[in-house]
Amino acid sequence: MTDARTIRFTLNGAPVSVSVMPHETLIEMLSLRLELKGARESCGQGLCGCCTVYVNGKSVSSCLYLAQLVDGAKVVTIEGINDGAELDPVQQAFIEVGAFQCGFCTPGFIMMARELLDVHPNPTEDEIRHYLIGNLCRCSAYPEIVEAVKLAARRRAAGTTPALAEELSA
Amino acid sequence: MLGFELSEPATLDEAFDLLADGDPGVRPMGGGTALMLMMKAQIFKPERLVSLRNVGGCFDGLRIDADQSHIRIGGMTTFAEIERSPMVLQHLPAVVRTMKTLANIRVRHVASVGGNLAHADPHLDLPPVWMAHAASIRIVSKSGERVIPVEDLFAGYYETTLGDGELIGEVIVPVRPEWTSTYVKVTTRSAHDWPALGIAVSANLQGQRVNDLRLVLSAALDRPTRLDAAENELRGSDLSEAALKRAGEAAVAEADIHSDSRGSAAYKQHLLRVHLSRAMHSLAGA
Repeated sequence: MTDARTIRFTLNGAPVSVSVMPHETLIEMLSLRLELKGARESCGQGLCGCCTVYVNGKSVSSCLYLAQLVDGAKVVTIEGINDGAELDPVQQAFIEVGAFQCGFCTPGFIMMARELLDVHPNPTEDEIRHYLIGNLCRCSAYPEIVEAVKLAARRRAAGTTPALAEELSA
Repeated sequence: MLGFELSEPATLDEAFDLLADGDPGVRPMGGGTALMLMMKAQIFKPERLVSLRNVGGCFDGLRIDADQSHIRIGGMTTFAEIERSPMVLQHLPAVVRTMKTLANIRVRHVASVGGNLAHADPHLDLPPVWMAHAASIRIVSKSGERVIPVEDLFAGYYETTLGDGELIGEVIVPVRPEWTSTYVKVTTRSAHDWPALGIAVSANLQGQRVNDLRLVLSAALDRPTRLDAAENELRGSDLSEAALKRAGEAAVAEADIHSDSRGSAAYKQHLLRVHLSRAMHSLAGA
C-alpha cells in the first residue's frame, strides 16, 4: 500500500478519479496532477492560508491534508466558486476595492472570506480579522481586504450589486 | 515527505491489527495536523500511518450523559465541532473560549482531540485546560480499556504513558456547575505564537473565598503540570493580595522553569506570578 491508489471524489461539482501516492498532499494533487493552480503552497505549515480549499464544505489547509483522504469527498477550489459567467460576490468585492497587490494570497483570502460570511453574514471588523487570522498577505493589503469583506457582506445581504461609489459613501 | 503506507481501517479491531507490530514507524493518526508538520520536516518518517477516522465507536460523537454528569468527547472529534457545540458552550465555556485562540479555523476543522493529547507537545493549549477541568481519558486496546486522569497521560516532552497498541478513545469531562474556569495563553512575541506559558485555572468560588481549585501550568515545562503548592496556598482562603502573592511564590518555587527562545526563566517566573493572580481575579469577577 505504499503504491499509488486510485481515489474518486467530486472536484468543483464534477466527478474525478486520480491515482495518488499515500504521501501526496492534497495541494500537490490539485496543482500537479489536476492542473488547478489557484490554491498554492506557500508556508507549507497551515499558517498562511494560500492553499485553502473546501473539503466537504469546510475550509482546510490542503498542504497539511493527505490527498488519499479526500476519497469520496466533495472538494471545492477557488476555480469552482463561481459559475464561469459571473464572479462570486466576494471575488467582485476584492477586485472593486483593490484588496491585493501581487495577488498570491488572494484565492485563500477569498475562500476564507466566503466561509466567514456563511458563518457570520454580517461580521464586525473584529470577527473578520479573527476569522482571517490564518491568512497572511505579505503585501499587507489588510485594510482593503477587511473593506472588501464588508462590501461583500452588504452585497450578499442586499442580494444585489449596486455601484461601488454609492455603497462606500453609505 | 518520504513514502509510507496509509491505512484507513473501518473497525477498531482492524486498527489494532494494523498497529500491532510494535514498530515505532507505525503510528495511529487522528486529524494528522501535527504528524504532517513532523513528516514534512522529516523529523518523523513513518512506515505506516493508520487513520482512525473510520473506526467509529467511542472515537466519534460529542454527548452528555443522561444524568448530565459528564460530557464525552470522542477522540476523533475535531476542535471545530467542540467550538460550535451549544452543549459544550453551556457547560464548558472556557473550552470554547480557548478554541478561538488555537491556530486557525482550517486547522480546527481537521485537528482531533485525541491526536492533540497523544502528541504530548507541552506547548499545546488544550491539555492543561482538560486537566483544570478534571477530565479523564478512556484508553482502549485489544486487551481491554482503562480510564486515567489526563494528567497521568504525560510522561515528558512529547512522551506519553500510552503503551503499544493503546489508543485514546474519548475524553470524559465532568460537568461541575459550581466551578468556573479560564485559560491564559501568554505569548511573548506575536499574539498567535506558541505560548511562553499557559495557565489553566478552575475554581469553586464563593464570593472571594476559594472552596477548591485546580491550577495547571503548561508550555514552560516538559509537560502540563498541576501546581499543588500554589493550590494549597489558595484552597480554603480568600483571594486577598497576600494569598495570591503567596500562591505566586509557591508556583515559582515548585515549577522547574527553563529559559528558551520565548523568554528567560526569570521572565517566565515573573509572568507566572502576574498571570496566575490575574486569572484568579478574572474568575472571581466572572
